Amino acid sequence: MMDIDALKKQLFEKARKKGFEDCELYYSENSHSSVSVYKGKLEKYQNSQTGGFCFRGSYNGSMGYYFSETTDIDIDSVIDNAMANADITDTDNKEFISEGSKSYSSVKIYNDALNGLTVEQKLETALEMERSALDYDKRIRPERASVSTGEGSVYIANTKGLELSEKRNYALASVSVMAEENGNTKSKYELFVGNDIEDLDPAGLGISAAKKAVSALGGSPVKSGSMNIILSNEVFADILGCFLPVFYAEEAHKGFSVLKDKTGERIASDILTIRDDPLIDGGFASCSFDSEGTASYGKNVIENGVLKTLLYNLKSAARDNVRSTGNGFKASFKSAVMTSATNFFVEKGNKTLDEVMKKTGEGLFITDVAGLHSGADRISGDFSLAAEGFRIENGVITSPVDQITIGGNFYDMLNNITAIADDLKFFASVGSPSVAVKNMTVGGL
Amino acid sequence: MISKKTAEAVLLCAVSRGAEFAELFVENNAKNSVSLVNGKVESANSGIDRGCGIRIINKERTVYVYTNNMAEDNLLRLASEGAEAIHGNTKLKNIVFSAMQYDKLYTPEIMPDSVKKSDIVDMLKTGSNAAYGYNKLITQTRMGYTDSCRNVIIANTEGLWAEDERVRTRIAVSAVASDGNEKQTGYFGPGALKGFEFYDTISIEDIAKEAARSAVTMLGAGNCPSGKMSVIMDNGFGGVIFHEACGHGLEAAAISKNASVFAGKIGQKIACERLTAIDDGTIPGSWGSINIDDEGVKSRKNILIENGILKGYMTDRYNGGLIGMEPTGSSRRESYKFMPVSRMTNTYIAPGTDKKEDIIADTEYGLYARYMGGGSVDPASGDFNFAVNEAYIVRNGKICEPVRGATLIGKGSDVLLNIDRISDNLALAEGMCGASSGSIPVCVGQPMIRVQNITVGGRE
Repeated sequence: MMDIDALKKQLFEKARKKGFEDCELYYSENSHSSVSVYKGKLEKYQNSQTGGFCFRGSYNGSMGYYFSETTDIDIDSVIDNAMANADITDTDNKEFISEGSKSYSSVKIYNDALNGLTVEQKLETALEMERSALDYDKRIRPERASVSTGEGSVYIANTKGLELSEKRNYALASVSVMAEENGNTKSKYELFVGNDIEDLDPAGLGISAAKKAVSALGGSPVKSGSMNIILSNEVFADILGCFLPVFYAEEAHKGFSVLKDKTGERIASDILTIRDDPLIDGGFASCSFDSEGTASYGKNVIENGVLKTLLYNLKSAARDNVRSTGNGFKASFKSAVMTSATNFFVEKGNKTLDEVMKKTGEGLFITDVAGLHSGADRISGDFSLAAEGFRIENGVITSPVDQITIGGNFYDMLNNITAIADDLKFFASVGSPSVAVKNMTVGGL
Repeated sequence: MISKKTAEAVLLCAVSRGAEFAELFVENNAKNSVSLVNGKVESANSGIDRGCGIRIINKERTVYVYTNNMAEDNLLRLASEGAEAIHGNTKLKNIVFSAMQYDKLYTPEIMPDSVKKSDIVDMLKTGSNAAYGYNKLITQTRMGYTDSCRNVIIANTEGLWAEDERVRTRIAVSAVASDGNEKQTGYFGPGALKGFEFYDTISIEDIAKEAARSAVTMLGAGNCPSGKMSVIMDNGFGGVIFHEACGHGLEAAAISKNASVFAGKIGQKIACERLTAIDDGTIPGSWGSINIDDEGVKSRKNILIENGILKGYMTDRYNGGLIGMEPTGSSRRESYKFMPVSRMTNTYIAPGTDKKEDIIADTEYGLYARYMGGGSVDPASGDFNFAVNEAYIVRNGKICEPVRGATLIGKGSDVLLNIDRISDNLALAEGMCGASSGSIPVCVGQPMIRVQNITVGGRE
């Protein structure tokens, strides 16, 4: 869309003239195309292409930013605005523009085969998901089924000679259904994320969503109290995803994570290992470099219960006198460089979920939680969430449970893990197997 | 941002295969943000969002394409690609635009881009200092400032040409209290559909002190008990209960798919008799207000529930069409990147006649929720949840010890019937609401209410 080289040249020249030292151009383009069906017909077709650039530069020791979705903009105003932003930013909060790493690992994040997927094929896949869900049980009503593909690219260039680019593509498929019986309604969905469409089983996804909804019908609350709980792979991934920032050195430095100065200490059950790995082929957050141009690599964050490292960008690494872990990311091209995990996951255990249930004996299997954006306090670690699932009696799943809450503290929970199943699954960039936790507070009757 | 000639050509192209309706939404949004952490400016960022969305509707079928490459040939290419996905029998040769006339709810006095950035920093520092100064247990502060000046043009094949300028500003104030082992946070986020003059009407210092007080109070609090009990929810952000338990279920997108417990219930009693609830997009300067919605319909005051009877839904053109209801000025979207759907604006429970003191005095045992956090709902089942940020046990008609970590859950249809007291002290509070058309500014509100027998999830 934009003539990047010309933009870069103009920006860097004018910025230098106005007194900027190191400067960077970050440019990104995205396209997305999706098809949604409802009751056997195409309901919605969407297509988009967007992009934009962000300039950042060091001025009198502070970093100034300015972004734009359009190049139809006066370059002087970009520089002047970035300068005004730099002027008010504190200088001891030092961000770096770097020449990058010596070498970069490659990772498969672009699949040419995805480009061949036609609108008709997406439509057929979405229809198959919906149809198989409806055929599964007569209590199922459709809500939406959609299939989409997208592509994104990033380009980073700076005055230290760094010039990097990478592009990725992906496919998403989701199916939402409602099950209804005796005035009781349950709405459930299944989601596929990947960049190999061969991995998608449309009928399987539809049936799975329908099964989830039907089996949740007729749930009832349990008595309030402390219980042994198995969190499904999805629920543990949801909770872990919510507390990700506690593993960011930047948050620890600001006093927003209690993991400050805990590296090397035991912070979790010794059966827990958590890894951040950006080099998984086809991974949702895979990349060969971060937004600062640092080469990506995999690392254990927690190993057998011991905190091995926090996640660093260049700024937080300089403060702790360590190397960046390649986790300096922008949330979008517009944002400032922050910290972000990549493919962040709990290593699987060696028992099946059935074996973990058997070992648990009596308790709850939690399959859904809601309210993570409000009912979890990242700073204290406290959470209390609306939850649903099933009773576990004599080591097997029995009746559905709903209208309960589960409460606890994230850090206590890490220590109270008693078993980890082998059903590791990724939900976008966060992955987990099902995890058994003792003594969690359940709110119900 | 776009000429009428280009708009006409793009719209005609969008319906060239016979679709009934097409609409253009063009936007230029100048944004600015400053973040202050522990008294220091962590980042300052600004920039421009600009782009265009083209929506094509034919009966139940919709196409939405968007881009920020505004060149006419690119828009025509996207429109014609969209037209291919949606054939119909309507023929349209030309469009005569007529400019929509309406009165602005509020005229900003100080445009955000005229404010010196150092003034913004000074204001944030005043807040941070006030929080630190409140108590030595305050160990961290986080202050955020955002403003945006959003110019939009909405044009459609029926000849609508609507232009609007939306100026908003908001400040976020967090104070963290710590006793060495534990940390608790107090937070407020006031904002308005106004210019920088908004900050003359509030005291950042008082807000920061109140956030600090809340954090310190919660630091000393025990864990909230779990189980069913009476809950008294204070005014202002307490209104999040209506927003989640009922509001989302009254949006036409859920109604048109029969994915709401309130579908088909107009004219029926769905709440206690004393409850009246309103969605009002016309409150001058209010954070959730809109001059016109994102389909170019004038905002209005919509009565949703009157004395317990369901009166109406919030509708947009597409979903309203599916259920045979006129648009209510409720169609909203985060940006041109989203197709608009019916959403809330300023939604609140109307004041009742009870006195706040009496509600507390008449409660033998329960929870008093002074400040609420956010929540969410599944409109299909009506299952909702929301967090309580500051709560106390009520015993024998008196507010007793503070408790932390409470989440309230329930079913929307039950909770509306279980509201048994409504006070007279209505207040609104600002928030962001996320749904299919993105994250949009809304207000929630209520006077103090009491709900019988609601599930409280704590850690005891």
